Amino acid sequence: MSAKLVGSFPPQPDRVWCAVPHPRLPLVATASTDRIVRIYSLPDFSLISNIEGGHRRSIRSVAWKPNTKGESVLATASFDSTTGIWHKLDGAADSRTNNSEEGAPLNSEEREEDEEWRFAVVLDGHDSEVKSVAWSAGGSFLATCSRDKTVWIWEEMEGDNYETVAVLQEHSQDVKIVAWHPEEELLASASYDDTIRLYREDADDWICCAVLAGHGSTVWDVSFENAGSQSRLASASDDQTVKIWHRKPKVQQEVMPRQPSIIKQADDQLEDWEEQSCLPKAHSRTIYSIDWSKRTGLIATASGDGQIVVYREEELIEHGDANEGTSSKRKEWRVIAQVTSAHGVYEINSVAWCSKWSTQGARMDEELLISAGDDGVVNVFELTI
Amino acid sequence: MTDIINANPTILNASDLPTRQSQSRKKQSSAAHIADRISRLPPSRTLLYDPFAGAAGEDSAYDSGTDDDNEDEGTAEDIDEQEIYDLISTISDPEHPLSLGELAVINLPHIHVTHGTPTPENPTPMSHVLVEITPTINHCSLATVIGLGVRVRLEQALPPRFRIDVKIREGTHQSTDQVNKQLNDKERVAAACENDTLMGVLSNMLATCK
Repeated sequence: MSAKLVGSFPPQPDRVWCAVPHPRLPLVATASTDRIVRIYSLPDFSLISNIEGGHRRSIRSVAWKPNTKGESVLATASFDSTTGIWHKLDGAADSRTNNSEEGAPLNSEEREEDEEWRFAVVLDGHDSEVKSVAWSAGGSFLATCSRDKTVWIWEEMEGDNYETVAVLQEHSQDVKIVAWHPEEELLASASYDDTIRLYREDADDWICCAVLAGHGSTVWDVSFENAGSQSRLASASDDQTVKIWHRKPKVQQEVMPRQPSIIKQADDQLEDWEEQSCLPKAHSRTIYSIDWSKRTGLIATASGDGQIVVYREEELIEHGDANEGTSSKRKEWRVIAQVTSAHGVYEINSVAWCSKWSTQGARMDEELLISAGDDGVVNVFELTI
Repeated sequence: MTDIINANPTILNASDLPTRQSQSRKKQSSAAHIADRISRLPPSRTLLYDPFAGAAGEDSAYDSGTDDDNEDEGTAEDIDEQEIYDLISTISDPEHPLSLGELAVINLPHIHVTHGTPTPENPTPMSHVLVEITPTINHCSLATVIGLGVRVRLEQALPPRFRIDVKIREGTHQSTDQVNKQLNDKERVAAACENDTLMGVLSNMLATCK
């Protein structure tokens, strides 16, 4: 298999930190050093909007809120230590590829209004750069993390108000990324302290329910599998490895009668996660980004070595002793595609899976890979056999 | 910086510092020297010409020069350790009116450059430079600032195919790992470069390079 470049969005003047596809529409949002969020149309590679003026420093990451109806909501995390929430009513501009032939843009004023992004709220609280922002699967919680070593969880209240429901100070260093489980209200964070931590709500408090240690350097990114309660977690690190972690089934423990109920409660929430496998080594520099396809189960990684690598978990049947006729099934991750110099000589900061869209604006079965690099370019790749 | 951390550093004589400049070079007028400097330091990414991007012989504009012209410019040669040394040894120390070369913070033997081999699949392989810096004293709190200065200088001056690692030389500082990790975290470096106070210090250090 190979991954073929199918197109690029108009280049930006500076480093693009990440490019994230919209959950429902053929759009991609980028976070950039030049403090502008750009919204691109995926089918025709055009720039639709620039969202400016909300941040005083680099925008490090963006996240689309899931399950919104009739409007799009975007969260932006910035080095200026704030997180922004932006709203826009879904309008004609998002599906303009439907009638791009007719062209006939609305009169410019109407159109401008149509495309306007409203800066709804700024979330203050972190002491230094906000590195990552993520919405929970249902969209009710927002998580942010920062160089100030904390992870914050926010809950949306009525009227553009967000309430801080937790400030988690478990990491001993800079927190690089936050990511939510695809179904459960389980949050993962990864850090410069080389660990990954998982959190869930226990009564009224959010607690750290697992520590995943094993990487030899900064963990830059994590991504959950889309497999319900069986979902595993993949992590990418400066130690140039990718690890897969899984939750061990709970062992029913005997209830100790003397234990105070408050401790017992916390114990119930603890989870046992362990390293299941390490993906075949393919990168020679820091791995900055990883994305586990929600649809195909493929994993893609992007690195400072300029490569994008795609991995697939394959089932192997091992024949044991011929006399006994035993055979066992084993799963193994294999590299199935590798793009060298995916952004020329530049480093790649993010990679994400995304649906392919027809030029008529219909979602197709195939998936694309979207990558963002230090060259200011956002590339789109397609896997071909 | 009112408290000088190392009041008595060892200083090398400028004429003892490593150079490949020949006698003839020393006779060059200062104007020619400045022109040479400018040609070595493209001011922005857009002007960067990567002589290794195409196959040798394609760059007729660059090959047409006389041998004399090319002798020192090295346009057709790989960037080597001496060239890296020239780029960073002239950075000023943040607390002494001396260069990092004179203070032996930057030393030619502690610079390592490697170039990838171009292949048909990958005509523009990456190059790698590792600079190990030697702080003047082993608890120098300015080691991070010096390292950042070196990194920023190289990021600005070298073509983008270079991957840059700046490290504190093993055994010369008490928190080597911690400083190294910070200096090679691109996100931390990017955020530091948006800090006006720090950039003020860095621009003073780098002012002597131009």
